[in-house]
Amino acid sequence: MRILVVEDNDLVADAIARGLGLAGFAVDRAPSAEIAATALAAEHFDLAVVDIGLPGEDGLTFVRRLRSQGATLPVLILTARETVAMRVEALDLGADDFLMKPFEQTELAARCRALIRRANLNTNGQLNFGRLRIDVAGRQLRIDDKPVELTGREWLVLECLAFSAGRVVSKERLQQTIARWDQAMTPNAVEVYVSRVRAKLADAALIRTVRGLGYRLDEPEA
Amino acid sequence: MSLKLDPTTSIHRRLLILLLPPLALLMVAGGFADYRASMVFMRTAYDQSLTDAAVAQAALLKVVDGKIYAQPASQPQPHANRPEKFYYSIWGPDHLLISGNPQLSAASGEGQLAYADAWLGNHRIRVVTYRVPTAAGVATVNVAETTSRREAARHFILTSTWLMDFILVDATLLLVWVGVRHGLKPLLAVRGQIESRSPRELRPLETTAVPAEVRPLVDALNGLFEVLREAARSQRQFVADAAHQLRTPIAGLVGHLELLTQDPAAAGLESRLAVLRDGMSRVAHSANQLLALARAEPTANLADHFQDTDLVPLVERVIERNVDRSVKAGLDLGADLDAASVAGSAWLIEDLLGNLVDNALNYTPSGGHVTVRCGGGVSEPYLEVEDDGPGIPEAERSRVRQRFYRLPGSSGHGCGLGLAIVEEIARLHRAAVTIDAGAGGHGTKIRVQFPGFSGLPQGKTANTVTS
Repeated sequence: MRILVVEDNDLVADAIARGLGLAGFAVDRAPSAEIAATALAAEHFDLAVVDIGLPGEDGLTFVRRLRSQGATLPVLILTARETVAMRVEALDLGADDFLMKPFEQTELAARCRALIRRANLNTNGQLNFGRLRIDVAGRQLRIDDKPVELTGREWLVLECLAFSAGRVVSKERLQQTIARWDQAMTPNAVEVYVSRVRAKLADAALIRTVRGLGYRLDEPEA
Repeated sequence: MSLKLDPTTSIHRRLLILLLPPLALLMVAGGFADYRASMVFMRTAYDQSLTDAAVAQAALLKVVDGKIYAQPASQPQPHANRPEKFYYSIWGPDHLLISGNPQLSAASGEGQLAYADAWLGNHRIRVVTYRVPTAAGVATVNVAETTSRREAARHFILTSTWLMDFILVDATLLLVWVGVRHGLKPLLAVRGQIESRSPRELRPLETTAVPAEVRPLVDALNGLFEVLREAARSQRQFVADAAHQLRTPIAGLVGHLELLTQDPAAAGLESRLAVLRDGMSRVAHSANQLLALARAEPTANLADHFQDTDLVPLVERVIERNVDRSVKAGLDLGADLDAASVAGSAWLIEDLLGNLVDNALNYTPSGGHVTVRCGGGVSEPYLEVEDDGPGIPEAERSRVRQRFYRLPGSSGHGCGLGLAIVEEIARLHRAAVTIDAGAGGHGTKIRVQFPGFSGLPQGKTANTVTS
């Protein structure tokens, strides 16, 4: 997976490049929007991390230009200056995520992974999450390349959680998703299905319960 | 008049003190003058009829052989309407009594006519003396009457004058009192306007209903408010700029430190790197908190941009952001959500809740629980964060709200701004923050009670007035 980091501050750019490198990404750096545009035109990248406060053309204008040229690669915006308007504007412009400076390296890596995962799902119907390979179109789950059998409702639960991997999915949403198959679905029944999926995933992935809110699909704790 | 009035005396009091006594004195003096004038008129009238009697008596004097004789005049008899007793005496040039009452002596004075008040026996009388030149020398005719009619008239004048005066004084005092009260009403309205605002509010005062005299004062106040607003705004801007400027280098440092910790080359330095990372994340946290505080300053006029805000998704977002942290800290972070919505700034309320959750996660030891609640619908919406950590001693509860105050002996990443930010944002939303012990007397429960929906668009109404 290749990421282009567009950031003019060397200290930050260097940290990001090394951090994402350690997380298993190939990283290229561009100190300005102009250089980034050249790089994007010449080679394939899976994701761009763009700082708003760039010299010359700023990050938001750059993203707008990218989108107007039809570029579909996911973009994560970095900023030191937060306002509601800016956050809304960035997402409206076509940025896919937004991260405030300062941030944790692990947080940045997790967001990058999630964005690339989502992009892959859109392009080839494949959803990769840690050791899980989820073929959405073929309705098939593989753990470490071994197929795992799921019932219809279990599949819906997994799909729903995996689409939002790393984010909390509310119990109500799960209930509604499954209810299409079974009118008499109760919150308790959701718990039953979740625990069945949990058992089938074993130690390959973790379905975390967030008390009072719902569930979150996480990579297993090291 | 050297009336010494304390300069702090209220205008109301001052006006009454300055107006009422002189007015009362003036009215009393006026009454006295009226009384005197009426008395002079009355005496002149009564003296005139007495003089007529004396002149009539004198006309009856006759001179025979150089001797003066008096013919007795017909004496008016006292009756019900005319109760006075009359006396007379006529004296010759040689001061010998010619006729009449020998005890009635002449009034002092040298003129042809003289008047005097005197006593005859135990009767008070009024005497008129008429000196008549005759062929045999000057005869002195004295005529006197008792004064009961004069007394009655004097009494009547006295009573009526004083009664009138009394009524007038009272009426005037009442009018002054009412007038002063009424006249000061616009001033009291301005006072009310100032009193009803919170001390941190720097909106200009309304000037449409302000009397001309107070207008310069209100204008000056508004000018001052403007200066303060501007100062607060530039201070806020400065803090925000400074915090922003700090963020990029902090981001770089945080990133590198994190990488170093994972670098095999740094083996053996873990504990020192951990100290550095801890310090760095405190710096980062403080920069964020300063920004949040700058955002929440009341001068930011955010109340103008308040919107209908659903608290449920807001709580979900805040919890979602903190799940990883709670997992790392070995805490159970959960929610108990009921419908709740307020008029406010979602952005700021997120800051508020973020700080409450942040504190709870910081101060609750591993294995503990942190629960975020919301509810109350639109009528009494609230947010609540409860933990089962060590709790805040009752004596410290008001102090933890101050900026940069930290509980004695507390650890964690706090910079002491968290609850100050919570307070600031709550104040903007007219919400009340209460700190209590959690369930069973353990831990901390902080509740933010927002006003009901109808009572809120305070900022909006004020805005329409000022714009």
